[in-house]
Amino acid sequence: MRYLIHHETILEYAEPVREHHTELRLAPRTDHQQHLVSCSLETEPEATLASYCDYFGNRVDYFCAIPPHTRLVTRLKAEVEVNRHNPFDFEPVAPHLQKQWLHEAIKREPRYNDFLLHRSLLTPPVMRLADHTARAFPRFERELPVIQSLLELMGWIPTVLEYKSGSTVVHAELINAMKQQAGVCQEFAHLFISVARSWSVPCRYVMGYLAQDSSDETENSTHAWAEALVPGGGWIGFDPVHNLLANERYIAVAVGRDSYDAAPQRGSFKGDSPGSEPVVTVQIQQVQQQ
Amino acid sequence: MYKHIPSGGKSRTPYHEFYSDDFTPRPHYQLLWDHIRSTGNNALEVKSHESQLALQAEGVTFTVYGDNEEGIERIWPFDLIPRIITASEWVKIESGLKQRVRALNLFLADLYGEQKIIKDGVIPPELIYQGKDFRREIIGIVPPLGIYTHISGIDIIRDEQGEFLILEDNLRTPSGVSYMIENRVIERRIMPEFFGKYRVRRVEHYPSLLLAALRSLSPRGKENAEIVVLTPGIYNSAYFEHTFLAKEMGVELAEGRDMVTINDIVYLKTTKGLQQVDVIYRRIDDDFLDPLVFRSDSALGITGVINAWRAGNVAIVNAPGSGIADDKAVYPFVPDIIRYYLGQQPILNNVPTYQMTSVKDREYVFDNMERMVVKAVSESGGYGMLMGPSSTPALRKEFMDLVLENPRNYIAQPVVYLSRHVCYMDSELEARHLDLRPFVIYGEDIEVVPGGLTRVALRKGSLVVNSSQGGGSKDTWVLAE
Repeated sequence: MRYLIHHETILEYAEPVREHHTELRLAPRTDHQQHLVSCSLETEPEATLASYCDYFGNRVDYFCAIPPHTRLVTRLKAEVEVNRHNPFDFEPVAPHLQKQWLHEAIKREPRYNDFLLHRSLLTPPVMRLADHTARAFPRFERELPVIQSLLELMGWIPTVLEYKSGSTVVHAELINAMKQQAGVCQEFAHLFISVARSWSVPCRYVMGYLAQDSSDETENSTHAWAEALVPGGGWIGFDPVHNLLANERYIAVAVGRDSYDAAPQRGSFKGDSPGSEPVVTVQIQQVQQQ
Repeated sequence: MYKHIPSGGKSRTPYHEFYSDDFTPRPHYQLLWDHIRSTGNNALEVKSHESQLALQAEGVTFTVYGDNEEGIERIWPFDLIPRIITASEWVKIESGLKQRVRALNLFLADLYGEQKIIKDGVIPPELIYQGKDFRREIIGIVPPLGIYTHISGIDIIRDEQGEFLILEDNLRTPSGVSYMIENRVIERRIMPEFFGKYRVRRVEHYPSLLLAALRSLSPRGKENAEIVVLTPGIYNSAYFEHTFLAKEMGVELAEGRDMVTINDIVYLKTTKGLQQVDVIYRRIDDDFLDPLVFRSDSALGITGVINAWRAGNVAIVNAPGSGIADDKAVYPFVPDIIRYYLGQQPILNNVPTYQMTSVKDREYVFDNMERMVVKAVSESGGYGMLMGPSSTPALRKEFMDLVLENPRNYIAQPVVYLSRHVCYMDSELEARHLDLRPFVIYGEDIEVVPGGLTRVALRKGSLVVNSSQGGGSKDTWVLAE
């Protein structure tokens, strides 16, 4: 499936700010299941653009607006091809060899240790969360394929968290969502990640888009889910909000240990005004292919 | 890693630098001893007083931070009896330090590159990935000349047998070099007659060596190198040193707010407009270096400097991320790191070290707590440390709990009775424990300045030499052949 994405962000300041540096993680990823066909960025005020690939493999576009300004606008236009077919279509590894498979994958790629060892307030140790939910945590079944336990986990999350738009802030501590038993896609993903890591399954946060069914132009915002390293299958996306494995409607933009690593926009400026909440407009269009 | 401390057979009496076992001065101290004896204590008293006045006049100070936030500025404590290292002792120290610094730089280049040492199973990945100072953000960036630690200060002690051992690597923003030079300046002024009797190698050229190394990193070439010393400001305990080095090298001293990054080029804001900067000798921690990449609340750094570094337009000294190589939890692996990258045996050994992540090591340490030093891996300057012999049972219990809570965060070492030296204390010559911090500069070549900062534990019997904990210092002489 091919998509054309427009993503606009507007930041406004009551007092002029200057020496404003911005990093964007907004260009869809290129990985084994999707690739970025084209990408362009416009800014207001105009600025010289540069980019690099960060250590999680995300493309980062960055620029600076030096003179004083009260408004910063970025408009990204990207075309991406997604080939996320049947997520179950892989040669499974016999359960008694799964541990070995994961061990070898991490040994070949030591950076995966981050997705196993990282703990933060966003993805805390499961023990810290257990006191805040009446429901028992799902168990990791060593005798079954890893994906079975992960599917179980995905289905369990909506039973302890209710999806409530606006119930948490960006990069919120997971424990607060557990206490109020509600959150948004960010918390659903963080909870999935925390539990999967406690099972020694490498797991990472994905920030991206979920395209709507209809091919018409629709209003969207960003979405978040988790990717776990599944023996035999590689990185597979799990969306606990919809209790669904990521399919070709999921467009991955940035990955990281938690939402902070994969934040779409990061900035630093000089000036006294903290700035408004960003106003984000996203349009996703399915592109018909010949 | 599990090594028992040899408890029997070897001497537990501290090595004396000055006297041999029969209480006669060691041969290289004989002339000094004769001189001190011929002039007498009165002369020493007068000279000692003179040296205090000279330090005060020069404004050689350091700042001590206690429990209350406010720092107290103190005159640098200096003992006028020099510490002497023979030419042959120095050969070993020098070659050992070069070897170590070379290996640690290969280690850093590997960690921020292919990570072969992890893939080959020599270093456990948790050690790196759970290290506070592993800066994954800089993976893939190749610094100028491929060097990370252009300036290292390596702490060396001497055990009961007189063997030089590495106690600690300081690879971030090691300080003390200005005091090494000031000690020499004062010693020469107050005790010129000493220098007539010995051929002492120079240390005063350190700033010119440093300047040459910094120039060699300039992206626009040596001839056009614009260099700044980046300081967090006057409240930093090493501010004296920042101003000292900037002045001696004839380069600008700047704070983050004096600089700006525009399109991957770093500029200094001057009265003549913006001036492009090639090399930043930063004396602030990674955390505060760039709010876009590290701590977003930092007001001390230069926004965008990491992107400028990645683009190859500026050199940062020492390179960001160097701290993982002097993490105290990595320290026990340094001998393996030397063997892995250089295929050589370490010339200078580590102090035996127990890892608290190992159950066996931990139990042994808990059983022998009064003979151990327990250190938090992320602390320095003598903070977050348990000195077993002088500890109370309650404090030992507290540390055991801390260790169990976060084993990765602690290591333990058997107490090594640091070597002693005579010091002129309160009108008497008395023995005090000391260590040595030589400075290594890695530019186009590796150079170890012949000398270093000798730190003295001023309290009788104390083994803590850190200036922030009431340590003193001595001029350190390395003899020419």
